[in-house]
Amino acid sequence: MSIPIILDCDPGHDDAIALVMAHRSPDIDLVGVTTVCGNAPIEATTRNALRVMDFIGADEVPIARGCYRPLARPLRLGTADGPSGLDGTPGLPDSDRAVEPLHAVDALAAWLHDAPSPITLVPTGPLTNIGLLFLKHPDVKPKIKEIVLMGGVFYRRSEYFTPTEFNIFCDPEAAAIVVDSGVPTTMVGLDVTMQVLVEEPQFEVLREIGTPLGQVVLDWLAFYEKLHRGTMGVGGALHDPLALAAVLDPSLIETRPAHVAVDLRGTVTFGATVADFWGERELPDNVRIATSVDADRFFALLYQLLRD
Amino acid sequence: MVRMILDVDSAGDDILAILFASRHPEIQLEGVTTVMGASGSIEQATRVALNTLTRAERDDVPVAAGAYRPIVGHSEEDMQAPVHFEKTLHDRFGERLKGFNAPAPKPKRPADGRHAVDFILETVRQNPGEITLVATGPFTNVAMALLQEPDLPKLVPECIVLGGTFHCPGNITPVAEYNIWADPEAAKLVMNSGMKLTIVGLDVCETNDAADAMLTRDDLADLAEHDVPLAGYLVEFLPIYIDIWREFFGLVGFPLDDVIAVALAIDPTLCTTDGPLFVDVELEGRIARGQTVAYRGFQILPADGPRTAHICTTIDGRRFVSLFKNTILGRI
Repeated sequence: MSIPIILDCDPGHDDAIALVMAHRSPDIDLVGVTTVCGNAPIEATTRNALRVMDFIGADEVPIARGCYRPLARPLRLGTADGPSGLDGTPGLPDSDRAVEPLHAVDALAAWLHDAPSPITLVPTGPLTNIGLLFLKHPDVKPKIKEIVLMGGVFYRRSEYFTPTEFNIFCDPEAAAIVVDSGVPTTMVGLDVTMQVLVEEPQFEVLREIGTPLGQVVLDWLAFYEKLHRGTMGVGGALHDPLALAAVLDPSLIETRPAHVAVDLRGTVTFGATVADFWGERELPDNVRIATSVDADRFFALLYQLLRD
Repeated sequence: MVRMILDVDSAGDDILAILFASRHPEIQLEGVTTVMGASGSIEQATRVALNTLTRAERDDVPVAAGAYRPIVGHSEEDMQAPVHFEKTLHDRFGERLKGFNAPAPKPKRPADGRHAVDFILETVRQNPGEITLVATGPFTNVAMALLQEPDLPKLVPECIVLGGTFHCPGNITPVAEYNIWADPEAAKLVMNSGMKLTIVGLDVCETNDAADAMLTRDDLADLAEHDVPLAGYLVEFLPIYIDIWREFFGLVGFPLDDVIAVALAIDPTLCTTDGPLFVDVELEGRIARGQTVAYRGFQILPADGPRTAHICTTIDGRRFVSLFKNTILGRI
């Protein structure tokens, strides 16, 4: 039985790879894709979702366009993906497909409402659409099996880690709504996604794939690694693909429960996801945090999905 | 004729605003939308709106239920403050308070199936430039509509809001008015949206400087002289409101905040205004969170918001109260 999911994304090179993996995996039933602003403005992320889905032939998957700004703050764009959000493949043709007539928030509600069994949500961008979904359509919560999202940072074990991770930083108010939603949620944060880095050995395997799709993914990753290499001296981290992979194979990551609060007020720490590891807040655990990852098995899964 | 959507949280003066909007012949009430606010829950707000329209013999007006919570809100403790206040009122007034925000009976018709945000967006998209929005509760619904439709400011000629205070003390903290405080992020979004705004703040309703605009027992005596069911209803339910506002807020009558917002749609000369200017909402702190700040005069630190707000500064109180009473009595 394949797992029904909805991918809520802001492509973004790593989002694009997550889209590819979701569509190519026989174990996933991609019910729909929704877009949000974050790595680029909503016009760009929606255009990218459409042309990526066109390129991989995912014509049957509906795509709905979502929020153009965070719930309560001015939009701060990401810096990893270039102005188009997908600068690694400037030649990727535009799609002539139309998005769904419904706004993503209402499309999400409709897809969930109509689904025969609960669906897994995989948000890989800022959580604006999901936050607005819970503000507007709280009745759909029972139709969500779980949320596996890319976002947050909890242990901050090296200077790679700022106090905040971009998706949460971009819309902390939406993130606060999601972690307190009561829906089972796993946060795949920087602590684990910064361990799935594309370095020379990974590039070597990817180059051997030799398909048009493989080439596009290579182009994406070649561009995508620039920011990481330039700032931290490491290869590109496959943040969003890891969240998607964790749905396909939960054993790729280890998790622990915790109560997580999102800082909404700090001058330089707003968007920080602060886990209460010792129960000091006396509040029940609200999410599971990814604590470790089997990087080799993750890459094996990625290669397999790109090859098959 | 003014075409209007009225967004309410169904507290006492919202009920009067619904009655006024649904009974005034120059208002074409396209719908009433509800939001979680002073009545305690979205279910209560929606039931009260439906029952009030039934009382006004306007079951043709659709009611759409909206947001059940603010975008962010406040600490649990502060969110409970209005509930504790109601307990204080019960301790003071006992049995007399039975009708005050009592659980509403089941309405005789259902609400519109659409969410308030969708009702607002569909109605204004079908009638661009035609529908005035009047918001007399927290601004969560209007903010959510803006989040889904960036062109909303171009689709409505004006949004008249009951919210904020500029000169007189607030009613939830010393500097904050309840509707703004109840969802400060939503209010900030609306104030910064570029939408043309008329802001009815506490300055023209909840201060004795605006005493002439308040409803007194004399006004109830006037209404009681007529054999009009709506007037009889007000004569029955309003005395306790007059007493509460007299005793707890030091006001000489019951302030008709939300009715003023509706009345301005048909008669803008009821209030003098200052503007256009930029009004922002403070989000930080505990006491100042929800404060409305109007940019007037000259300051060295620049403001970076749209100058689209007109704030009410004075009100022609007796003319307004006459308009209200005559509308209730069907004499317009």
